[in-house]
Amino acid sequence: MLRIAQGRVYDPANGIDGEVRDVCLDGGRVVEELPSHAPRIDARGMVVMPGGVDIHSHIAGPAVNAARKLSPEEHRADVLDRTATTRSGTGGTVPSSFTTGYRYALLGYTTVVEAATPPLAARHTLAELRDTPIVDAAFLVLMGNNLSLFELIRDGGPVTEAVAWLLDAAGGYGVKLVNPGGVEMWKHGNRNVTSLDDQVEGLGVTPRRVLEAVATSVDELGLPHPVHVHCNNLGVAGNWRTTLDTLDALEGRRAHLAHVQFHAYGGTPGKRPRSSAPELVEHLAAHPEHSADVGQVMFGPATTMTVDAPVSALLREVTGGKWVNADLEAETGCGIVPFTYRERNYVHALQWAIGLELFLLSRDPWRVVLSTDHPNGGSFLSYPRLIRLLMDREFRNEQIGRVNKKAIRRTVLGDDLEREYTLGEIAIITRAGPARLLGLADKGHLGVGADADVTIYSEHEDREQMFATPRFVIKGGRVIVEEGELREAPAGDLLRVAVDHDEAIERTLAPLFEEHYSVQLANYPVREPWLLEPARRVPAGGGR
Amino acid sequence: MAERAATCAGCGCGCDDIDVAVAAGALERASGTCVLGDAWLAERTGDAPPVARVDGREVDFADAVEASAAILGDARLPLVCGLGQTDCESQRAAVALAEAVGGVIDPTGPEVDGAAGAASQAIGVSTASFGELRDRAELVVTWLADPVTSNPRLLPRLRLDRAGRAAERTLVVIDARRTATADEADEFIELPPQLELQALWAMRALVRDVPLDRDLAARLPLDALERLAGRLRTCNYAALIYDAGLTTAYVNALGLLALVRDLARVAHVVALPLRHEGNARGAEDVLAWQTGYPAAVSFARGHPRARPGEFTAAELLARGETDAALIVGFDALRLLPPRAADHLRRIPTIVIDPRDTETGAGARVAFATAAAGVHRDGTAHRMDGVPVALRAPLPSDRVGDGDVLAAIEARVTRGEEP
Repeated sequence: MLRIAQGRVYDPANGIDGEVRDVCLDGGRVVEELPSHAPRIDARGMVVMPGGVDIHSHIAGPAVNAARKLSPEEHRADVLDRTATTRSGTGGTVPSSFTTGYRYALLGYTTVVEAATPPLAARHTLAELRDTPIVDAAFLVLMGNNLSLFELIRDGGPVTEAVAWLLDAAGGYGVKLVNPGGVEMWKHGNRNVTSLDDQVEGLGVTPRRVLEAVATSVDELGLPHPVHVHCNNLGVAGNWRTTLDTLDALEGRRAHLAHVQFHAYGGTPGKRPRSSAPELVEHLAAHPEHSADVGQVMFGPATTMTVDAPVSALLREVTGGKWVNADLEAETGCGIVPFTYRERNYVHALQWAIGLELFLLSRDPWRVVLSTDHPNGGSFLSYPRLIRLLMDREFRNEQIGRVNKKAIRRTVLGDDLEREYTLGEIAIITRAGPARLLGLADKGHLGVGADADVTIYSEHEDREQMFATPRFVIKGGRVIVEEGELREAPAGDLLRVAVDHDEAIERTLAPLFEEHYSVQLANYPVREPWLLEPARRVPAGGGR
Repeated sequence: MAERAATCAGCGCGCDDIDVAVAAGALERASGTCVLGDAWLAERTGDAPPVARVDGREVDFADAVEASAAILGDARLPLVCGLGQTDCESQRAAVALAEAVGGVIDPTGPEVDGAAGAASQAIGVSTASFGELRDRAELVVTWLADPVTSNPRLLPRLRLDRAGRAAERTLVVIDARRTATADEADEFIELPPQLELQALWAMRALVRDVPLDRDLAARLPLDALERLAGRLRTCNYAALIYDAGLTTAYVNALGLLALVRDLARVAHVVALPLRHEGNARGAEDVLAWQTGYPAAVSFARGHPRARPGEFTAAELLARGETDAALIVGFDALRLLPPRAADHLRRIPTIVIDPRDTETGAGARVAFATAAAGVHRDGTAHRMDGVPVALRAPLPSDRVGDGDVLAAIEARVTRGEEP
């Protein structure tokens, strides 16, 4: 039992915008009222929000782990000692698993979505999530370059059943498409696709067919989270047209675009990009079935880590530094390049500015939400700074003054955009919005019955400082963080979708499996309780 | 008699298509295994030592846990090593214990991936899973590696053995002598091992069209290498298979990965490191996700620090710097270099192993456990990183490696009675 008394509460999902009131927690849930003797936190003068929800981050699995191995220098510079309550670890842009959980919690985040797991590697992701404490975690299952699905799509087979089966086999939450068709073409002599209608050679599908088929299946299954799309042509000048084509192709179907900043470039391929953020904002405004996270770039160190392996090969040529490529049979690829974003660099400054444009021009904060595509655009630890950029116009303009001028001229940021995000809007883009887009009914709000995940901030004029060090973080009703210190570090839950499938799908998949995989079909689905439990099943709505 | 599915962890192939016939709770026969798999099963299904021993005498499990906790608690710098033959779940428990006692942990097996792992940290790596090599690689080169001996089912599983290989695919073997793998190849290129680095550098030059001083390269089989470089450049998908356990010189490992990187700029080229132990890859993966580093990690200062060489188990032992060792699933006395083994004989050791080993027999405390993949479910990471489920085709009333490690850890950190 815990009463958070007389804080200024921002609970946008329930229409509460800075009202001073009590929030009562009992049995891991928000409750209506508590007896007066219940323990209390005196939150007078403090800001109370639901725990943060990260809709798109890379925190666990083989790609994340390959990136960890690649950066011992970063780890040496950022260490965490073992304490009575916490395991030791290392930080940097790709922290060790325990450190990832602690640091998310210290930031006031209590739910995180790992955005890219190949079903074949689900056991690895699940094991890492077991070692990522405190936060409840879900993961998205990669399906955009899956050879079995390609064959079913081509032949008009039971795609929807296969999607349901894959989600269940992996223990995943939602469906992710990354550069559909393009990663497969990367394995054909380092090629790619450049438009929705390019053929995926020898497979009889196009990116468009894959997008349409999988998005339709996700809608048919009534999954809580729409298809989560990393569009084709990431990073390419002029790619906003591909992004718009993708959205047009998905018109009328629900879809979430990942890190849309990386897909909002005007200009012509091979030439200097400029911003096309306003065009994409227009589309999103007009299409309530579509949403996006921004994928903001923050200056400083990052690690680019993507399923979109051809992009990594280009970045390798830019940095000349470390590079990992990992092809995974029948499902996906992976590329990793450590990277630094610099203020004076035209492209980096443009990327930074486009992200800010997307935030500042967006009319519906519920559908354009915060991410840095951690660690691609920067670490999740940079969220407080990003929040300050959105909330503090003076600070923002000062920062704009420091970066590459030519880049700023290719955006509308030079027009001195007046908008300053309110605390209510920050609460939307960092918790209420992501939770709603994810279909997590118990997350991102403080209504009766919601999970007792609460973050309490001391008011501070410097919003970066305010959001970097919450005064209290409460997870499942337990006070986890107090004054920037972890008090305890319980395990989080796995959040996975509950979706039915026809058992007969395994008979359809068996010959495809035999052809494409080097593991047995019977061993592919994760059934091990120690990997899957404790979990919470979020039911699919079931359009069927 | 019942047929049960199993995954073999006898080498890094992680073959998950094994059937085990079980009668009266005992292994009757296994099908689908290779000679290494048969040996792996036999070692884990023979007569087992008592569950717990202290100084060779059978004791209660709790007493052995108590003795282990005392040894580790008294040690100035305890070492946790082995790990390549247990499951990821037990490896997780091993890292937790090493941290709790402020020790050093380093995956240590008969063949260790020291140099190749460190080289891949320096420049990265291009790699792929088995299915990709099987279905896409037109040209496969084994580079000073003999998978027919070290990983007998690998070539058949990749359809690269002579019988299974399609006519349009090519296998080239580069090695010091005609190995069993060479007998399966389309071409064998003889290369004295001391010329490995020169050959790699010559290959890099050939791939990048950098002029080569042919006099300096005179001892190399240059014509063959030149032909090979030309084929690698023009193929759609090629793979180099090397032996992570044999690649002991850092600079050679770097050369190999640099060559793959050069090739990757003109063709789709990947490298696959052979691993000898069933879960050597998992040990590195678990250590990396828990600490940020794949090997040679010290917790002596309360946080992870990694220093290959300084904290590498064999070297730490050879220098006499560790005063207690906990060894998981590794017959260290038989397989470590002599100086390291000599030091191990002088310090108190705790051995956790399902098998009856010389190291276990000589240990201060020895636990004989239920074997991962035979008596215990778990997870292993194949040499290509793909996680596979280990099964428990046979029953056992013993606890697994991870249970022992967790019991010792609980005793050390919380004073809990096992």
